Amino acid sequence: MILGLMLTVILLPFAGGGLLQLIKFKEKRSKQCFIFAYVLANTLLTYILLAQGPTDIIRIINFAGAKLNFSLKIDGMGIVFGGLVATLWPLATLYSFPYMEHEHNGRVHENIFYLFYTATYGVTLGIAMSGNMLTMYCFYELLTLVTVPLVMNTLTHEAVLASRKYFYYSLGGAAFAFIGLIFLIVYGDSLSFIFGGVLTPDAMRDKKDLLLFIYVLAFMGFGVKAAVCPFNSWLPQAGVAPTPVTALLHAVAVVKSGAFAIMRLTYYSFGVDFLRGTWAQYLLLCIVIFTIVYGCSMAVKETHIKRRLAFSTISNLSYILFGVLIMTPLGLVGALCHMVFHGVMKICSFFCAGAMITQAHANFVHEIDGMARRMPKIFGIYTVSALALMGVPGLCGFVSKWHLAKAAFQSGNPLAVVGVGGLLVSALLTAIYMLSIVIRAYFPGDQFDYGKLHDDIHDPDWRMLLPLFLFVGAMFVIGVHSAPLVDFFTSVAGGML
Amino acid sequence: MNYMILLPVVLPVIVGFALLFLHEGVFRDRRGLLKVTGVSFAVSAALALYVISGAAGDRLILFRLVDDIPVYFAVDDLGRLFAGVVVAVFLLAGFFSFVYMSHEKNEKRYYSFYLITFGVLMGLCFAGNLVTLYLFYEFMTLASMPLVIHNGSKEAVMAALKYLFYSFCGAYMALFGIYFLYRYAIVFENPGDALNGTHYYEIAHMMGFVPGGSLDMAAVVESGNATLCLVAVFLMLVGFGVKAGCFPLQAWLPTAHPVAPAPASAFLSGIIVKGGILAIIRTVYYCVGVDFLRGTWVQTVWCILAVITLLMGSSLAFKEKILKKRLAYSTVSNLSYILLGLSMMNAAAFTGSLLHVVFHALIKSGLFLFAGALIFGTGRVKVKEFAGLGKKMPVLFWSYTICSLGLIGIPPTSGVISKWYLAEGCLESGIAGLSWIGPVALLASALLTAGYLLPLAVNGFLKAPLDEEALDKYREPAPCMLVPVVVLAAATLLLGVFPTPLMEFVGGIAAALK
Repeated sequence: MILGLMLTVILLPFAGGGLLQLIKFKEKRSKQCFIFAYVLANTLLTYILLAQGPTDIIRIINFAGAKLNFSLKIDGMGIVFGGLVATLWPLATLYSFPYMEHEHNGRVHENIFYLFYTATYGVTLGIAMSGNMLTMYCFYELLTLVTVPLVMNTLTHEAVLASRKYFYYSLGGAAFAFIGLIFLIVYGDSLSFIFGGVLTPDAMRDKKDLLLFIYVLAFMGFGVKAAVCPFNSWLPQAGVAPTPVTALLHAVAVVKSGAFAIMRLTYYSFGVDFLRGTWAQYLLLCIVIFTIVYGCSMAVKETHIKRRLAFSTISNLSYILFGVLIMTPLGLVGALCHMVFHGVMKICSFFCAGAMITQAHANFVHEIDGMARRMPKIFGIYTVSALALMGVPGLCGFVSKWHLAKAAFQSGNPLAVVGVGGLLVSALLTAIYMLSIVIRAYFPGDQFDYGKLHDDIHDPDWRMLLPLFLFVGAMFVIGVHSAPLVDFFTSVAGGML
Repeated sequence: MNYMILLPVVLPVIVGFALLFLHEGVFRDRRGLLKVTGVSFAVSAALALYVISGAAGDRLILFRLVDDIPVYFAVDDLGRLFAGVVVAVFLLAGFFSFVYMSHEKNEKRYYSFYLITFGVLMGLCFAGNLVTLYLFYEFMTLASMPLVIHNGSKEAVMAALKYLFYSFCGAYMALFGIYFLYRYAIVFENPGDALNGTHYYEIAHMMGFVPGGSLDMAAVVESGNATLCLVAVFLMLVGFGVKAGCFPLQAWLPTAHPVAPAPASAFLSGIIVKGGILAIIRTVYYCVGVDFLRGTWVQTVWCILAVITLLMGSSLAFKEKILKKRLAYSTVSNLSYILLGLSMMNAAAFTGSLLHVVFHALIKSGLFLFAGALIFGTGRVKVKEFAGLGKKMPVLFWSYTICSLGLIGIPPTSGVISKWYLAEGCLESGIAGLSWIGPVALLASALLTAGYLLPLAVNGFLKAPLDEEALDKYREPAPCMLVPVVVLAAATLLLGVFPTPLMEFVGGIAAALK
C-alpha cells in the first residue's frame, strides 16, 4: 500500500504530463485546470503518504549483490524535503499559468514545458524518498535530464548556451558523486541511508584519509547542484529560463536536491562522527564560508534582477551547507530550517521579480524606478521577502540564522565562529542588494516623472498574487511561531525520525 | 497577564499602518487629517504614560520567538526614564509638525511613520530581554527610514540608504554578540519565581535584563571563551554604537539627520539615537555586567573611541556652516559624552550619562525645532544668514539661547549638572590617563560648543541683517511652532534649577546596579 503510494506520487506527474501531450484541449483554461488538478492531486497524495510517518526501507529491485538495490523509504529528512516540495509545486504551477501566457516571444512550447515541469516534481519526490545512495543517484541524474529542457525551453541562443552549461556542470558533478558511491559500496556495510553512517570500522581506521578525500569529492560533486563555489556559474546563467522554473527549480527543488543529497551523504552515509574535526570538514567549511560571502558580493554587483536573486541563492544555499558542515545535530537543525525557510523566501522574491517582468517588462534594477506606485502589492510583498532574507526578527529568516549561529557557537569549532561572521556580513550585503531595489521602487527621486510609466502597468491577477500572499503569511507565521517546525527538525536531526 | 503594556506599542503601529494604507481622499482636507493624527498622538502618548506610571503592571511574556526566548516586556525605571523622554519629545515635535509639514508633500505618510516609530520606540524602552530589544531595534531602523527619505530628493535617498546600511551593519555586529551570549544565559530552574509569579516554562533562559548583569559570566571564563566574549561584547558596543553615532561608524548621522523634515530631525537626533544608548546600557549594565568588563581592553578602547568622537563631533560642528548639519555634528559629540560616561562604569558617571540622555534629548530637539522654525519662516539654511533676525523673533531666539547655554553647560541650565557628574565619574574611575583626559575633552568640547552655538544667538540679536528690506516680513513663527521650542527651553532652565526629583530618580537606577 505504502509502496504503491510512493510509486504513484513519483509517476503520476509523468503520466499527467504524458496525457497532456495526447489530449487536445479546446480552451487554454481547461488545459490549465487539467494540469493544476493532477499537480494538486499529487500533492494531496504526497501529504497522505508523508503523514504515514517513517517507514522501513522498501526494496523494489535487487541488482547484483546484497548492497545494490533500488529502494525507497520515508524518514524525517524525506518528510521535510518532500513536504516542502509538495507544498510549493501547486502554488508555482498556479503562478506559471499567467506567467506563461505573458511570455511574448511566442517560442515557448507550452505542452513540452509542462511535461517536464511536472515530471521534475516526481523526480524530486523520488530524491526525497530514496532509501539508499544508488536510488538517490539515479533520481539525481534523472533530475538533470528532465530539467535541461526547461532551461532550454525558449530555444534562444542564450538559453541553449545556459542549458548546455547546466548540463555539463551537472553531469560532471554527478560523476564525482558516483566516485563517492563506488567507495561507499566498497567500504560501507550497505548503501542504505542509516543515521550515523554506514562505513565499516576497519575502513574508517585504515583508509581514513582516502575516505575523507572521497567525501570531499562527493561533496563537491553534489555541491554542483547546490552551487558551491567554484561550481556556481551555471545557476545565474540558467536564469534565462521562465520565472516559474527559476523560482521553483533554481531556488528550491533542484538546488535543494543538491543540499539534500549532501545531508544524506554527510549524516547518513559517511557519518558525522567520522568526519567531525578532520581536515575535510575544515576545508569544506572554508569553501562554504567563502561561497556565502562571494554569492552576496556578486549579487550586490549584479544589476539584472533575476541574476541578482540567483547569486543570492548561491549564498543562501551555502548557509544550508554551512549548517550541514557544523556536523552536530544542532547544525542539521539549522540547515533544515534554512532549507525550508529559504525555499519560501526565495520563491517569493523570485515570483515578485517574475511579476515585474510580465507586468512591466522590467529586467534590470534601474528599470523599476517608481514602480511601487503602480504595483503596490507586488512591491509590498517583495519588501517583506527582502526583510525576511535579511533576517529581520519576526520573519522566518531570523529563525534559521539564529539556529545556524547557535549551532556554530555550540560546536566550539573556531571556523564555525568565523562562519557566523560570514553569515552576518552576508546579511548586510543582503540588505544592500535587496533594499536598494525596494528603495528605488518606492523613492525614485523627486525629479522622477511618473507619467513615463506605462498606463497598463498594474498588479497581476489573483493566480499570481494568491501564492505570494500565502508565502508572506507563511513567513510571518513561521517567524513568530517556529517552535513546532523546529521541534520536528530537532527530532529529525537527532536521528529519531 | 498585563496585556495593557502592549497597548502603547501596538496601537500607534496599527494606527500608523491604517493611515498609510488609507486612501488620500478619505480626509476631506488637511484639517481632517490633522484631527485624526492629533487624536492618535494624544491617545498614544496617554497610553504610554499609563504604562510608565506602572498602573499596567510591569511584566508581560508573549510567545516564544526563537528557542525558549520569548518576546518579553518589562517596565523598569530605566525604561520609564527613556519612555518618558520619548513621549515628551514625540508630543512636542508632533505638535510642531502640524504647521511645519504644511509645506511638505506626502504628509499622511510622514505621520504614519512618525506614529509607527513611536510605537516601536515604546517597545524598545520596555523590552525585557536582549532578543526583544534587538527585534525593536531593527524595526526602529526600518520605521524611521521613511522619515529620513521623506522629501524624496536624490540627496535624501542617498542619505536614507547610508542610514539603513550603517544601521544594519551595526545591528548585525550586535547580533553576533547576541548569538554568542545566548549560550551563557542563566537557566532559571523555576522562572516562575524568578519573574515574580508570572507563568513561564519550567526551565527557561531568556537573556533578560537584571540590574548588574543576567549572564553566567563565570561559565564564560570556565569554558575558556573569555577573549571571544570580550570581542563579542565589543562588537555589540560598536554595533549599537552606530545608532549613537560613535566613531568609527558615525558618518551616517550628519548625512541623514539634516535631510529629514525639521521635526523628524528633532525626533531622530533627540530620540532615535538614544535607542543605541539604551541598547548599550542594557547590554553592558543589565546583561553582561560591568564587573566582567571593568579594567579590560574593551573598556579602554571604548573610552578612547568616545573621546575621539566627542572631540571630532564638536570640531566638525564648529566648522560646519549649515545650521542643521551643525546640530547633527553636535549630536555626534554629545552622544559621546554619554558613551564616555557609560564607559567609565561607575555610579557617578552612569548618573551623569542618564541625566545627559534626558537633557540632550530635550535640548537637541529644541534646537532642531528652532532650526525648523527658522527654515520654515525664512527659507534660509546657513548660520550666517540668520544675522539680525533676533530682533524680529525675540522669543524664538531667547529660547535658542537658553537651549544653547544648556548644551554648553552654563548654570543655571540643565547641562551643567550632567557634565558635572560625567567629569566627576571620569576622575573617580581611576583609568590611567583617561581619568583626566576625559574631563579635559569635556571642557574642550564645551568650549567648542560655545563656539558653534553662541555666534548664532549673538549675531541674531546684535548684528545687522543681510538685507534690511526682507527683514520686515519676518515675525515670530506661529504658536504651534513657537510653543514647543519655548517649552523645551523652559524645561532646560527648570531642570537646571530644580534638578532634585530627576536626580533622585536617576540615582535610584544607578544605585540598583550595585
